[in-house]
Amino acid sequence: MSMIEFKNVQKYYGDFHALHDVNLKIDQGETVVLIGPSGSGKSTLIRTVNGLEEIEDGQLLVDGFDLHDPKTDMNKIRKNVGMVFQHFNLYNNKTALENIMLAPRLVLGREEGENKRIAMELLEKVGLADKANNMPSALSGGQKQRIAIARSLAMKPKALLFDEPTSALDPEMIGDVLDVMRDIAKDSSMTLLVVTHEMGFAKAVADRVIFMADGRILEDNSTAAFFDNPTEPRAKKFLSQVERH
Amino acid sequence: MTLLEDHFSVFAQGFGHTLLASIIALIGSLVLGTFFAILQVTKSKWARGLGNVYVQIFRNIPLLIITLFFYLAVAKVIKMTGFTAGTVALTLYTSAFIAESVRAGILSVDPGQMEGARANGLSFAQAMRVIVLPQAFRVAIPSLGNQFINLVKNSSILAFVGGLDLMYQGNLVAANTFDTFATYIIVGAFYLIITLPLSYYIQYLERQLKQKA
Amino acid sequence: MEKAKKRRFGIIASIVLALVIVLGFFWASATISKNGKHQDTLTRVEKQGKINWGVKADTKLFGLMNTKTGTPEGFDIDLAKAVTKQIGKQTGKKLTPTFTPVTSASKVQLLKNTNIDAVMAVMTITPERAKVVDFSNAYFPAGQSLLVQKDSGINSVNDLNDSSKTVLVVVGTTAAQNIKKFAPKAKVIALQDYASAMQALKAGQGQAISTDNAILYGLATENPSYHVVGGTLTYGPYGAAFDHDEKPMVKQTNEALATLKKNGEYNRLIKKWFSGVPGLNWHELEVHG
Repeated sequence: MSMIEFKNVQKYYGDFHALHDVNLKIDQGETVVLIGPSGSGKSTLIRTVNGLEEIEDGQLLVDGFDLHDPKTDMNKIRKNVGMVFQHFNLYNNKTALENIMLAPRLVLGREEGENKRIAMELLEKVGLADKANNMPSALSGGQKQRIAIARSLAMKPKALLFDEPTSALDPEMIGDVLDVMRDIAKDSSMTLLVVTHEMGFAKAVADRVIFMADGRILEDNSTAAFFDNPTEPRAKKFLSQVERH
Repeated sequence: MTLLEDHFSVFAQGFGHTLLASIIALIGSLVLGTFFAILQVTKSKWARGLGNVYVQIFRNIPLLIITLFFYLAVAKVIKMTGFTAGTVALTLYTSAFIAESVRAGILSVDPGQMEGARANGLSFAQAMRVIVLPQAFRVAIPSLGNQFINLVKNSSILAFVGGLDLMYQGNLVAANTFDTFATYIIVGAFYLIITLPLSYYIQYLERQLKQKA
Repeated sequence: MEKAKKRRFGIIASIVLALVIVLGFFWASATISKNGKHQDTLTRVEKQGKINWGVKADTKLFGLMNTKTGTPEGFDIDLAKAVTKQIGKQTGKKLTPTFTPVTSASKVQLLKNTNIDAVMAVMTITPERAKVVDFSNAYFPAGQSLLVQKDSGINSVNDLNDSSKTVLVVVGTTAAQNIKKFAPKAKVIALQDYASAMQALKAGQGQAISTDNAILYGLATENPSYHVVGGTLTYGPYGAAFDHDEKPMVKQTNEALATLKKNGEYNRLIKKWFSGVPGLNWHELEVHG
């Protein structure tokens, strides 16, 4: 069963055609990396999946819900689809632990003891158990992003979206965050959709790579096929630029 | 000072009414103002329009006119005393200013906070209440403090509609004793009893929040 | 430690500031009352060549601002003009009248501060007031009465003696005390002026306005569905008022009033202002002698 399915999806910002007839199917448990030059529409695409951006035309099915249907309750979808942002978006008025425990408490009504146990486990998993009571302002960028990932995982989502999770980090912080992401990809049946420029990460964990430019999907291929022998000339050019970099 | 002794019960009654009107209007205007501030930052065009019209109307009409409107016009339909009419008018008038302060506070909060909360599964209302508003109020506190102090002073509008407040009682005492000057000094001192602790408390809150941040 | 010190400093500073403000006010008020020991009113008036009268601007028939001309008009105004002219004749000095609108609450303070020289503003002569100001002889025989809606069923002050009834009065008038005497159960609400009181009566904020009958007749002419009832509760004639202990000025004024009553000028003004008022027997107001 497919977790995420785009059918002829169109998205506009005024006159600007941000998503151009997008067709895409991602199955449960798949890890898909989305790459492309900036302004190609990859962030827009990933943000439509949990309704942060609305689509103008076509059909977008997530976990069986039709996102274009105004009757669809977005909160139900978001309960099952987490998201990690480029700028972390941790709750500035809550401690690291509270950041993780808040949504399970308010949205899932998880029992407080259980909630705390799960949150502490997740902090352990991302290597920040000692920072449980720190406010976000007292954390480094890499630490913030690992807390943000733990916050998403606490909801036990079916799918997790990563929108350039390492782009705002200092180089020495990137490794820790990628390690956490690698673990998630390895040991779960979660569907992952990742927008990133980290080609090493893509090669190592992705089942599929999707290449976008100018709001269109130009190539959708298995990881090995994409990196060894991209069919699309613009994808070739992009890869050579990224790898030279 | 014999003036104060002779008319102490009158001043005390006025002080009680001023204090009561101030407390009711403070709570009411904070709730209403926050509500209309939130309306103005929603996605719905209708809600934004409604919030904006409310704020523009009550912010841009003199308080006296709003008060007289309730005392003379609305009271024909819904029975209300001068005290009620004045307190309602004071609440609505102040809420428009508070809505602006709170709205500015909300806009100063990184939009990523709301986005993060929504993506995390929280509803708009939950995200507002738990994440955005606490951060917005921290920013808005100095300007809210000004509004609250103005509110206490503006409660003297009750005197115009027989609201039994400090200013009303002061007018009566002044008219009866002809000691206008001393009377209004006493009235002014009674206002200080409310406004000084209030403004000191607001400064204290500001310092507390600065330490926390 | 540092913070506790700062906080204590803040508390002390605000208390000191409050004290300084209050003491400052007292000092200012003391200074003003000292300055109040001014030269006598008649001397000042003669030197200035004018009498500055404090008059009402919101009271129909007595002193009402004509919004077109920006000058007040009414019986008080005309009488003040006539008295000024007469005092001028008596003292052999040329005197002109000027007018300053006053409220019930402000008129005495303005007299004390010498912002105005005299008050001719529907001011009832009472013993308490006479301790603070000097009154001339009575110039108008007013009595307190009630204005109610015609179909209200209220015919006298007894009908108002009920806690569900509210009587509207104007700040600084003697009406409130009398209502408390005659209808002790009624609520009394004081408003700023007669226009506000009339609006409040129409809005149902009270069941009656109580003040001098002559003023109520003025309100009734403009509002035909209201009428004056209950006769007069008290007799409370109006007098012109001056600062305390101004015997020469009072004497001149009393002389002037007597002359105006004798020479027919007073009756002419009574006819001018009160002959057209329905329900009022204006001939009773005329003086004969």
